[in-house]
Amino acid sequence: MTVGGQTFGLQFPVRRHRLANGLRVVLSPDRSAPTICVAVYYHVGMRIEPPGRTGFAHLFEHLMFQGSESMAKMEIARLVQENGGNLNGSTRYDYTNYFEALPAHTLDLALWMEADRMRGPVITQAELDNQRDVVKNEIRVNVLNRPYGSFPWIDMQAAAFTNWHNSHNGYGDMADLDAASLEDVQAFFRTYYSPANAVLVVVGDFEETGALDLARRYFEDIPAAPPPAAPDITEPRQEEERRASHLDMLANRPALAVSYHTPERGSREFYALGLLDQVLLQGEDSLLHQELVSRRGFAGGVDGGINFLGHMHNAQTPLLWTAELFHDATVSAEAILEAFDAVIERVRTEPLSSAVLDRALVKARAAIYGTVNDTYYPGFGRADLLASFELFEGDAAQVNTIEPRFAAIAPDLVMETAREFLRTSNRTVLTVQPGAEQGAVE
Amino acid sequence: MSHPRPVLGAPAAARIPQRHDQRLPNGMRTTFVHAGAVPMASVRLVLRTGSADVPAGRAWLDRFVHDYLREGTEQRDAVTFADAMAALGGRLSVDADEHTTVLRTDVLAEHAPEAIALLAEVARHPRFPESETERLRADLHRGLDLALAQPQYVTFAAFRAALYPGHPYGRVIPDPSAFDGFDAPGARAFWASQTGAQRALLLVGGMFDEDAAAQAWRAGFDDWAPGSPPAEHRPAPAQVRSVHVVDRPGAEQSTVYIGRTVPDPAHPDYVALEVTNLLLGGSFHSRITMNIREAKGYTYSPHGVVSSRPHDAYWVEIADVTTAVTGAALGEVCAEVERLRGEAPDGEELLGIQNYACGAFLLRQATPGGILDHLEFLDLHGLDDRYSAAYVDRVRAVTPAEVRRIAGQYLGTDAMTIAIAGDRVAIDSQLAAFGLPIT
Repeated sequence: MTVGGQTFGLQFPVRRHRLANGLRVVLSPDRSAPTICVAVYYHVGMRIEPPGRTGFAHLFEHLMFQGSESMAKMEIARLVQENGGNLNGSTRYDYTNYFEALPAHTLDLALWMEADRMRGPVITQAELDNQRDVVKNEIRVNVLNRPYGSFPWIDMQAAAFTNWHNSHNGYGDMADLDAASLEDVQAFFRTYYSPANAVLVVVGDFEETGALDLARRYFEDIPAAPPPAAPDITEPRQEEERRASHLDMLANRPALAVSYHTPERGSREFYALGLLDQVLLQGEDSLLHQELVSRRGFAGGVDGGINFLGHMHNAQTPLLWTAELFHDATVSAEAILEAFDAVIERVRTEPLSSAVLDRALVKARAAIYGTVNDTYYPGFGRADLLASFELFEGDAAQVNTIEPRFAAIAPDLVMETAREFLRTSNRTVLTVQPGAEQGAVE
Repeated sequence: MSHPRPVLGAPAAARIPQRHDQRLPNGMRTTFVHAGAVPMASVRLVLRTGSADVPAGRAWLDRFVHDYLREGTEQRDAVTFADAMAALGGRLSVDADEHTTVLRTDVLAEHAPEAIALLAEVARHPRFPESETERLRADLHRGLDLALAQPQYVTFAAFRAALYPGHPYGRVIPDPSAFDGFDAPGARAFWASQTGAQRALLLVGGMFDEDAAAQAWRAGFDDWAPGSPPAEHRPAPAQVRSVHVVDRPGAEQSTVYIGRTVPDPAHPDYVALEVTNLLLGGSFHSRITMNIREAKGYTYSPHGVVSSRPHDAYWVEIADVTTAVTGAALGEVCAEVERLRGEAPDGEELLGIQNYACGAFLLRQATPGGILDHLEFLDLHGLDDRYSAAYVDRVRAVTPAEVRRIAGQYLGTDAMTIAIAGDRVAIDSQLAAFGLPIT
């Protein structure tokens, strides 16, 4: 398609169906290689789990590999592997997903497996106990035994959000994990894993009619149940800067992160912030890299973006736009913030040149292409975008509007968005104080 | 009610995308592969130089030079270069290991020729401005500190030091006092001595105009001097059991490496070794993972790996385990290895693993990134597309008896190197069962 004289490269075929039990089915053929990707997304994640059950959405994801009516513990992993595929699952803020990339001739089996899993976990106390231990080891390796393990994602959420759903640690408290029982598991399943709360996506080398017939055969007789009421995850407008500091006994250099609340998903301002992210933070041409890294030498790099657990297109809002860096103890966080503020103030008060904005648009397009070009699970990046737009905007085909939505953003709107959302009073500053000595380990 | 499990037809043969190879008179080579359905081109300039080429006592000189490459070219300064790359949708990445340095970028499909030209510019005419030396040294000091705080990094370093004593492969952690001697003339001299047309391979994969890409390749590299041939660095690895502990007082987990050297990819046993690894520890449903994760809950992400360099490879199992079960986890890993050395797997278990190996190969050939990774692997080990064409048949030909032989011949745990970062007070007594002095 062409908009304003510019040609846009990414147009996915998208066919949407809804089964009698409410399951949404999205099919997107891609004949470039003889592979398929099957993905099932459930609209429950770290910030949708109920209070008193921290970490449950994630623990539950693990349990969904421990057996179902027709599959024993870990049999789903064995079946995928022995048919030549890779599988995984993940728990994000707003969804929990299960997916496998396989050679194309296995579509029938992949759909059968995911349908069997959707019928519910069939697990024992021993399997629950085992996966609780595995999850605790996941938390140890990623957070407790790792320097900067909670930086910035866990600590920043706690500091920047006021709504419990957004601010709590989605990995969970060990005490809540210990308290989880088999009855809780079944209740969680009944509440959040109904077909009407899920999206099935198939991407790759398949015939549409045949795939839809298979989806109907395996999924349509799964009993319907009403989807859960969505929790209120809204945040009030932030009116005052927040500051937080974390002492990390494993860290040996200070770190700094700055987060701003984003505009609402789907709004023009949200896409304007996506362009600001490219201008300010992504790549070595970005303004923050040039100021903080190249010119001032505060850090070897400055990282960040929108959404700690993904990118701007695969989560609901509220989200945070975050810039983060590791620096030397000889430089104060205040000195870095002063330089940071000067850069932010520029985009709030001066319109960007068309050259800079054009480059941001190209980078934003390349970033989307990059997410759909993943190597280990061919087709998964596309499936993830389709499922996200189906869940969060009610129409997977809206994926094909990402590029024109970016292209429609005018320079004035970028500046207005910066003025409203890159306000000092809309941000949270998080610092890490190192508790370990430099070079202590050898 | 559940439906009966479907029975599948036969898999299609793996489709290996056609590669187009060319060579210039100066020795520079290129391979183009069209793949995928995303309008992006992946461009990689693969240079045969790496950390093994760094003189003793100057570890991380290569990293310093790679950071310096970002500081512009003779034709444009750092900002102008970064702007030019970004305008294509790309950014310069430098990936490096012991023998390979890859300058790479992914750009919008229509910009592949400009990306090739920019990579040629940075490889052949880097600027190395003196003004940036001090900042880049500070980055090395900071980067080293951040790395030393990571248990996985210090365990890897201890494992390498024990496995490759006195060899560049074993010198992972640099001496930071040497950083003060790194400067612009040194960076320029090192880069000049290590690069040239006969050490270079340009890979382009994805969607792109091949004629325009070939033209940019010739224009960018045609008059590049051949340079010196790459040096060989064959190691003499340790072949005895030893245990090395990096103390991390109070650590909740022990980070464990246990492994030993094995045949490299050019050896006839290599494919059977890969299959053996997938069965033992290299896949989600492998024996070690099913044991120490799914049965015992000792760890979250254990994995078996065959790590290779030209004429060298090792097998290693890597896991972060709860401190209190460090010895027990090591014991289970050894028991699984020894079980396979004593008893051939049954045919059904092996068939499942063979199917996985073949399927994983097919998936790798489905995306530009996977294809280029495979081409890099072939080139590093002196293999060609006959290896790719024969791969599936070689996997299929592996027998249960052969897996047992491979494990028996190459994976005896009595000669494995063990490196652990963990809380010595809590784990020394657990390691006593392994009956060896701990260093």
